[in-house]
Amino acid sequence: MNIRSSINKAAATAALGLGLAATCVLPSLAQDKTITWGKPAEITGFDVHVAGTVAAWEMYQMIYETLLAADENLEVQGALAESWEQTSPTSYVFKIRDGAAFSNGRAVTAADVIGSLERIKDPETASYWSHQLGDIAKMEAIDDHTVSVELAAPHPAFLPALAHITAAILPIEELKAGTFDPTSQLLGSGPFMVEEHKQDESWTLVRNPHYWRKGYPLADRLEAPIIPDESARMAALRDGRIDFTTFANPDAPQMLSKEDNIESKPQQTTNYYRIDVNALSDKSAFKDKKVRQAMNLALDRQAINDFVFAGTSDVDYPVPAAFGKDACRSLDTYAMPREERIEKAKALLKEAGNENPEVGLIAASSNPVLGRIAQVVQQSLGDAGFEVEIESIPTAEYLQRVFTDGDFDMSTSWLAGYTDPSMVIAWWNPEFAVWNQVFQENVPELSAALDEVKTMQGGAERDAKLSEICAMIDDGANLLSLVSKTDYVVYRDDQVDVTVAEKSGSSNTFQYISEFKPLD
Amino acid sequence: MRLIAYLLPRIAAALITILGVSVLVFLALRLIPGGYADILLGPFVTPEARATIAERYGLDQPVVLQYFHWLVSLLQGDFGVSMVTRKPVLDEFLRRAPVTIELAMIALVVALSFGLPLGIASGTAGRSRGGVARFIGAIGASVPDVVLGSVLIFVFSVWSLWLRVGGYVPFSEDPVGNLRVMLLPGLTLSVFGVALVLRTTRDAVMRVMTEGYITAAVARGERPRDIIRLHVLRNASIPVVTVVTTYFGFLLSGAVVVEVLFSIPGIGLYTFSGLLNRDYAIVQAGVLLAAVVFITINMLADVLYAAIDPRVGAGAKR
Repeated sequence: MNIRSSINKAAATAALGLGLAATCVLPSLAQDKTITWGKPAEITGFDVHVAGTVAAWEMYQMIYETLLAADENLEVQGALAESWEQTSPTSYVFKIRDGAAFSNGRAVTAADVIGSLERIKDPETASYWSHQLGDIAKMEAIDDHTVSVELAAPHPAFLPALAHITAAILPIEELKAGTFDPTSQLLGSGPFMVEEHKQDESWTLVRNPHYWRKGYPLADRLEAPIIPDESARMAALRDGRIDFTTFANPDAPQMLSKEDNIESKPQQTTNYYRIDVNALSDKSAFKDKKVRQAMNLALDRQAINDFVFAGTSDVDYPVPAAFGKDACRSLDTYAMPREERIEKAKALLKEAGNENPEVGLIAASSNPVLGRIAQVVQQSLGDAGFEVEIESIPTAEYLQRVFTDGDFDMSTSWLAGYTDPSMVIAWWNPEFAVWNQVFQENVPELSAALDEVKTMQGGAERDAKLSEICAMIDDGANLLSLVSKTDYVVYRDDQVDVTVAEKSGSSNTFQYISEFKPLD
Repeated sequence: MRLIAYLLPRIAAALITILGVSVLVFLALRLIPGGYADILLGPFVTPEARATIAERYGLDQPVVLQYFHWLVSLLQGDFGVSMVTRKPVLDEFLRRAPVTIELAMIALVVALSFGLPLGIASGTAGRSRGGVARFIGAIGASVPDVVLGSVLIFVFSVWSLWLRVGGYVPFSEDPVGNLRVMLLPGLTLSVFGVALVLRTTRDAVMRVMTEGYITAAVARGERPRDIIRLHVLRNASIPVVTVVTTYFGFLLSGAVVVEVLFSIPGIGLYTFSGLLNRDYAIVQAGVLLAAVVFITINMLADVLYAAIDPRVGAGAKR
């Protein structure tokens, strides 16, 4: 009897144990909801304050947070800062959100905010975002959750600059203690944290258990296989291996639209495709301003929209169309009928004594869209007498030749428009931008106007100044806007419920990633 | 002793070759336009930022000194760290090696399965009756992997067929899923191999078939099957072994184009991405390891020659 009783007790204990284990484990397995993002490219570096590519920004946005964010009306709203106050044209006070914590569980403090902004401003960091933040004179921690910032001069773009991921808040305490290396690790207060990274292969992110927004993210895991090939991403969407991805041109979404359960959402951005023109090289025909102006007039931006983007984009301007300003639209470049522009361009070339300029056009091979744009540019400039030779070269070579050596005539690329009209046009001042000093002519009047507009609050007076600047930019024809850059988010509507902002100003396509809901 | 005497000069030549490759890849990477600073910072690479990045990664040192440091580290088994992840590149190569080996094995098995029988059949059939095999050989040798792979990707991504494009799954996790992913790149990679093995086998067999000892065997009344098995295959095998080992070395060194096209996370894709990102440690290690694999396999082929044909080894004595 004793033996039987012992066996029964043991069996009952085991059953209870198994039951308890099942109660604990099974629900967590059942709730382990995963979304899969077909990421088009690997990050180019881990340092959020340094990397200047969208492939890196996209991943940082899953893990890091900024003090502020931009909504789809391009208005600044709170992110890590639950509120802020501008106490004078140069003074700001930020209140950090209660409950905001890094994924290691430590609360975000004023010291993290101050340390992060100091790190961006430190020349040793080599952050390109330093200039966009303006001249920070002083920062103080009023208490653990309150920071005051004093600028040396008014800089209304300071708040929008804080909304870009490059101004992310890092765990400075861990960085100083040597337990966190921002050049090889990602540790933030955003919705996800890194569980595993296989270089050039995949990322596995899991929910940040300390994320301040309770109940979010809706997915427990975010798998991100890296699939650079467009056809392979299309195939992965078709067979349901990935839930969502992005494309830079509308061809893929259009082909996939015939499939059941595949939907796409275009996202308008303040970004636009552009052409850089070398105005400084003696070897370039574009050193002559008349040749540059002729080229600007001969460009057929509408043809780029029609042939490369199937009419889904829009002609864009130095002050991005997404801001809804009329700053540039009345200029001949945009308002004059094309036939008249071609005649005017030919006349300019004749005046320049160079009726058939031979020029090279570089398109980095990493982005097929740039090659297609180059082909349309080649055709449209041919109408005015230009002979254009296209070069498709690797990205690293393109970057060195254009931005370091100035060894080119013109090149295609795209420009981030950010969330304030004064931010993107600031690049037309080579003293401020630095990156275009080897090919951009320094026009003192334009630089002065750009410096002035940075200090102006939004309104009619600033809009008038923007129009004046746009005319000067158009006259110089040194860095030209082409068409808007629309991003296409394509997803399986039977696998995931996505929320995508109709408009983005910070290259933050997945701003609402925490609201992406896995479907059963 | 004879084998050692046969191998020693080859080992010495191999070491010199590897040293030469290390110098070439090191210098070539520093001569091509663009560096990691360009990739990391994009257009925002100012001279100051470039100098900071160079100092951070030791690229501000004289090239000779950089090479010397790298060589010393290599001798200690340290292949360097990736500039992107700051993690040891050797770990990544070891993690990816099974993927490339599997891809190479699939391609080799397909190449041998089709190339050898077709080559023998074509070679024994003679010039007038080997047309089909000649045609297959010509097509296989002239269609580039990138063209064939692109066509297959298009077809298999538009129509939902059983084989999959991309989405690598390890064999240990899901054998069927793994085969569904690996077969297309394996087949793409094997087409050139089929043509290579077929043409080499065919030429070798045809050459042997004209030898006097074959005529003598026929005159002795030996059965055709025995003539092929005992006289033709053994004597025709040396050129076939040469091309198969070279081909296998090429596959193991990283079938870059196919891995990139099909997003297969092998050593070829890793090295290629490293090259695009100017991640020096990855490319240096990738090229050097490829050279070591290639040279080692060629040495193994030399040993095989000696085993197949004793006259080859005997040559070392003279």
